[in-house]
Amino acid sequence: MLRVGDVVTAYGQLEALKGVSVAAESGKITCLLGPNGAGKTTLMMTVTGLLKPKRGSIAFEGQELVGLSPSEIVARGVALVPENRLVFPDMSVRENLEAGAYLRRKPAEIAADLDRMFERFPRLKERAGQSAGTLSGGEQQMLAVARALMSRPRLLLMDEPSLGLAPLIVEEIFRIVAELNRDGTSIFLVEQNAHMALKVAHHFYLIEQGRVTFSGSPGQLAEDEVIQRAYLGSKRG
Amino acid sequence: MLDLIQNTIDGVMIGGAYALLALGFTLTFGVMRRLNLAFGAIVLCGLYAGAAAHQALGWGLLGSIAATLAVAVAAGLYVERLCFRALAESASIAAMVSSFAIWMQLEEIAALLMPRRTYAYPALSEARPWEWAGLSLRPDQLAMAAVALGAMAALGWTLRRTRFGLAARAVATAPLAARLAGIEPARIGSAMFLLACGLGGLAGALIAAVDSQVTIKFGMWAMLKGLVAMTLGGIGSIPGAVIGGLALGVIESNAQWYLGAEWRDIVAYGLLFAVLYWRRGRERPWTNS
Ligand SMILES: Nc1ncnc2c1ncn2[C@@H]1O[C@H](COP(=O)(O)OP(=O)(O)OP(=O)(O)O)[C@@H](O)[C@H]1O
Ligand SMILES: [Mg+2]
Repeated sequence: MLRVGDVVTAYGQLEALKGVSVAAESGKITCLLGPNGAGKTTLMMTVTGLLKPKRGSIAFEGQELVGLSPSEIVARGVALVPENRLVFPDMSVRENLEAGAYLRRKPAEIAADLDRMFERFPRLKERAGQSAGTLSGGEQQMLAVARALMSRPRLLLMDEPSLGLAPLIVEEIFRIVAELNRDGTSIFLVEQNAHMALKVAHHFYLIEQGRVTFSGSPGQLAEDEVIQRAYLGSKRG
Repeated sequence: MLDLIQNTIDGVMIGGAYALLALGFTLTFGVMRRLNLAFGAIVLCGLYAGAAAHQALGWGLLGSIAATLAVAVAAGLYVERLCFRALAESASIAAMVSSFAIWMQLEEIAALLMPRRTYAYPALSEARPWEWAGLSLRPDQLAMAAVALGAMAALGWTLRRTRFGLAARAVATAPLAARLAGIEPARIGSAMFLLACGLGGLAGALIAAVDSQVTIKFGMWAMLKGLVAMTLGGIGSIPGAVIGGLALGVIESNAQWYLGAEWRDIVAYGLLFAVLYWRRGRERPWTNS
C-alpha cells in the first residue's frame, strides 16, 4: 500500500534519513520504533509532503507521492496524526473535526462522519462545544486521531500517539488503534513505547540514526532487545 | 461629566473606523505572520480613486466608495504578488522591508497622478447634528460607526461560520496541523490579505466621507492609527483590535478636549509605548487571551 524506497531527507547539511526503505501493507498495523532523534518524525513529514526528500521514492497505491503538496497527499487518502497532537487550541472540538474534513465537499457525508466520530469517542461528544485547548492530553490525542479520520484516509499515519500520556490512557489509545484497524483502516505507527506497539503490530521496523536496522514481525526479536534499542539505540562499539 | 460622555461618544464613532484599520493589520498578521507596511498606501490609492471618480466622473457617495474598495483590493493584489507571495518562503523581515518600499512607491504614484494636497470626497451625510440633553450626535459619524460595526459583524460571521473562516483560524493557530488537514496557508493568506485591504478601503472611505476630503497624508495617518489600535488591543488578537480601536478613539477625543488638540496624537503614542513595554513578548496571533 505504501512503499518508501531509499529515502534521504536532510535539514541543511544534516541527513536525518540516510536511505530509508519501509513498507506498510494494506489492512495491517505497521510500526516503526526508534530512539529520540532517529528520524521517525522526519519520515512522517516526508511521507505527508511537509518535507521534500533529497532522493528516493514514496509510492502510495502505486502512485508517486514525492513532489505532491500536503493537500494533494491528504486528498489521495494518507492522513497523519502529528507528534504532540497539534489540535487547534482556540477552536471547538467540533470545529477541529470539521477542519479535518476541509477537503471534502459533501456536507451530508461530513455530518454522518462527525456522528460516527462522536459515537467512537463519546468523550469528544461531551466536549463538542468546548475549545480543544481545554481538553486533557488523552482527549486531545483522541481529537487529533478523530480529526485525521475526518479526511477518510485509507492509510493513517500516527507519530508517537502515546507521548506524555498516563499508562491507562496509552492503553486506551492502543485499543482504539486496534479497533480502527479491525474496521479496515491501514495504520503506520511511529513509537518509542515498544511494549505497547509490539502488542498491536503485524510488522515492525527499528530505525536508528536515520537507518532502518531491523525489519520483521513481533516475536522475531526478543522484546527486551527491541525495548532497549527503541529507547537507547543499539550499543555499537 | 457631560463633556466626558460627549467625548466618549465621539471617540467610539471614530474608534469604529480605527478598529477596521487595526483589523486590516491583524488579519494579515494572524495568517501570514507579517506586517504589511504598505497598508496605508493601499488605502490611499483607493481613496484617490474614489475622489477621482467623484471629481472627474461625478460619481456619488456609493460609487466613490465602490471605486475605493475596488482599487484598494487591486493595489492589495499588486502588493501581495510583489512582496508577500514572491517572498513566501523567505524571512518575514524581507517581506516587511519590501512592503515599506512599495508604500513609498504607491504614494509617489498617487502624488504624481493627483498632485494637489487635498481632494474632495463625497460627504456621508449633510444632515445637522441631533441635540439631546446637552449632547450632540453627528448623523454622518453615527453612520460611519454603524457601517464599521456591520463590517465587523460580517467579518466575525465569516471567521466563525464559513469554511474559509475555519481554515483561516486553523492556519493562524496551528499552521502545521492546518497543512496536514489539506489547508493551503499560502492561498488562505492571499485571500485574507485582500480581505484586509477591502476592510482598510472601507475604513478609509468612511473617514474620508465624514471629512468630505482626502489628503496625501492619509496613508501615513491610517497606518499609524491602525498600528496603534492593534497594539493597544494586544498584537494579534481579533477582539483586541476592535477594543483597541474603540479605546484609541475614546482616549484621543478626551485628550483633545481636556489637554488641547496638539495632545491628541502625543497621548496616543505615549500610550502605545507604555503598552508595548508592559506587554513585551506576549503577542499571540488570533487568540482571545
Ligand atoms: N527542523 C529541524 N532542523 C534541523 N534538524 C532537525 C530538525 N528536526 C529534526 N532535526 C534533527 O533530525 C534528526 C531526526 O529528528 P526527528 O525529529 O525525525 O527524530 P524522531 O525520531 O522523531 O525523535 P523523537 O523521538 O524525539 O520524536 C535529529 O537529529 C534532529 O536533531
Ligand atoms: Mg519525533
